[in-house]
Amino acid sequence: MHEVSIAMGMIDELTRIARENNARKVITVKLKIGKMSGIVIDSLQFAFDAAKLEYPLLNSTAIFIEEVPLIYECNNCKNTFKTDDIYFPSCPGCKSYNLKILSGEELHIENLEVEV
Amino acid sequence: MCDVCGCGHHHDSKSPSTSHDHPPFAKGGQGGIIGETRIIDVNESLLKSNESAAISNRAHFDEKGIFSVNIISSPGSGKTTLLEKTIEALKNDINIGVLEGDIETDLDAERIRKKGIPAVQLTTGGACHLESSLVHKGFHELEHQLNGKKLDILFIENVGNLVCPSFFNLGEHIRVVLVSVPEGPDKPLKYPKAFKTSHVFIITKSDLVPYFDFDIEKVKKDALSINPFLNIFVISAKTGEGLKEWFDFIKKQKHD
Ligand SMILES: Nc1nc2c(ncn2[C@@H]2O[C@H](COP(=O)(O)OP(=O)(O)OP(=O)(O)O)[C@@H](O)[C@H]2O)c(=O)[nH]1
Ligand SMILES: [Mg+2]
Ligand SMILES: [Zn+2]
Ligand SMILES: [Zn+2]
Ligand SMILES: [Zn+2]
Ligand SMILES: [Zn+2]
Repeated sequence: MHEVSIAMGMIDELTRIARENNARKVITVKLKIGKMSGIVIDSLQFAFDAAKLEYPLLNSTAIFIEEVPLIYECNNCKNTFKTDDIYFPSCPGCKSYNLKILSGEELHIENLEVEV
Repeated sequence: MCDVCGCGHHHDSKSPSTSHDHPPFAKGGQGGIIGETRIIDVNESLLKSNESAAISNRAHFDEKGIFSVNIISSPGSGKTTLLEKTIEALKNDINIGVLEGDIETDLDAERIRKKGIPAVQLTTGGACHLESSLVHKGFHELEHQLNGKKLDILFIENVGNLVCPSFFNLGEHIRVVLVSVPEGPDKPLKYPKAFKTSHVFIITKSDLVPYFDFDIEKVKKDALSINPFLNIFVISAKTGEGLKEWFDFIKKQKHD
């Protein structure tokens, strides 16, 4: 359950950012989470919603999570493709396993909407 | 005390103060918006607070010329046993210190101290992995115990868990992942992140191969398909197989 720790770290970060910007409260947070980030989105959401109640700046914050698809570029034929195979993806064009990951590992806070 | 981090700052970073300059919110209903709203672009990692503390840990280690090793595995794969063997073999040549991560108890730190090596127990009180801020605290405590004596190698034994620790960089120079033969040969494929983020992979309890379906060559191949840069050792603390190679590897890492 690293999601709980990640939610707590996120609360620290959001608190810091909100204070630096003299925000009265954080209304929404947008996250980008890659399909291969290793995060269970529901667990993160649950952990955040349970923990936020103790923080006046965050107690009504809603998080919006964009799940980023897993996209590879084939190093052999330069084909770009999307896949759900997180273990052994291969290029649908030339079957090569020699791939470069373009997206899907994200674990990012994109932006916050705050009340100032 | 500590010039690198200015101490006191990170040590309490996990408990943001609740006092602030603003009036209380959410008095009525759903905490309706009173002032203006604005979007702040952030674009930073969700793990940033841990990453920043990891960077300061690394600065501490480098400043003191210490090579640091983060050891991760499932519970019971043989992390503490490997440390005991390593200490027995190397303690006359290199100065070793240990941080022992566990959810509860200081049994593992006690095992290390019995070998005549300074050890600090880090109890996470529930969390199934170590984080940088706790390691930072433990490192200063260890320095206190050392009383000016220099360390060459710092081993950090993580909490037994093959998932969570791979998300939390502790500032270590290398990460070592262990899988013991009884756990089965599917671990690299099932827990790819642990292998992707490690530098060394050790297959432990090789003396048990005759009793389990564990094809060592296949497991090595699977691990390398996830991370072709892995340095792989096959060891048994019982028979001593492979330990010499591991000791030589550790001796080579000593700075200077
Ligand atoms: N047969 C055999 N048993 C081993 C070997 N290494 C360790 N063990 C046994 O495995 C058990 C667990 O070993 P530990 O070293 O405590 O494992 P650990 O990874 O530190 O465990 P946690 O800290 O609880 O996660 C002990 O009973 C050890 O004696 C080995 O090479 N061969
Ligand atoms: Mg142990
Ligand atoms: Zn976890
Ligand atoms: Zn291709
Ligand atoms: Zn410090
Ligand atoms: Zn300090």
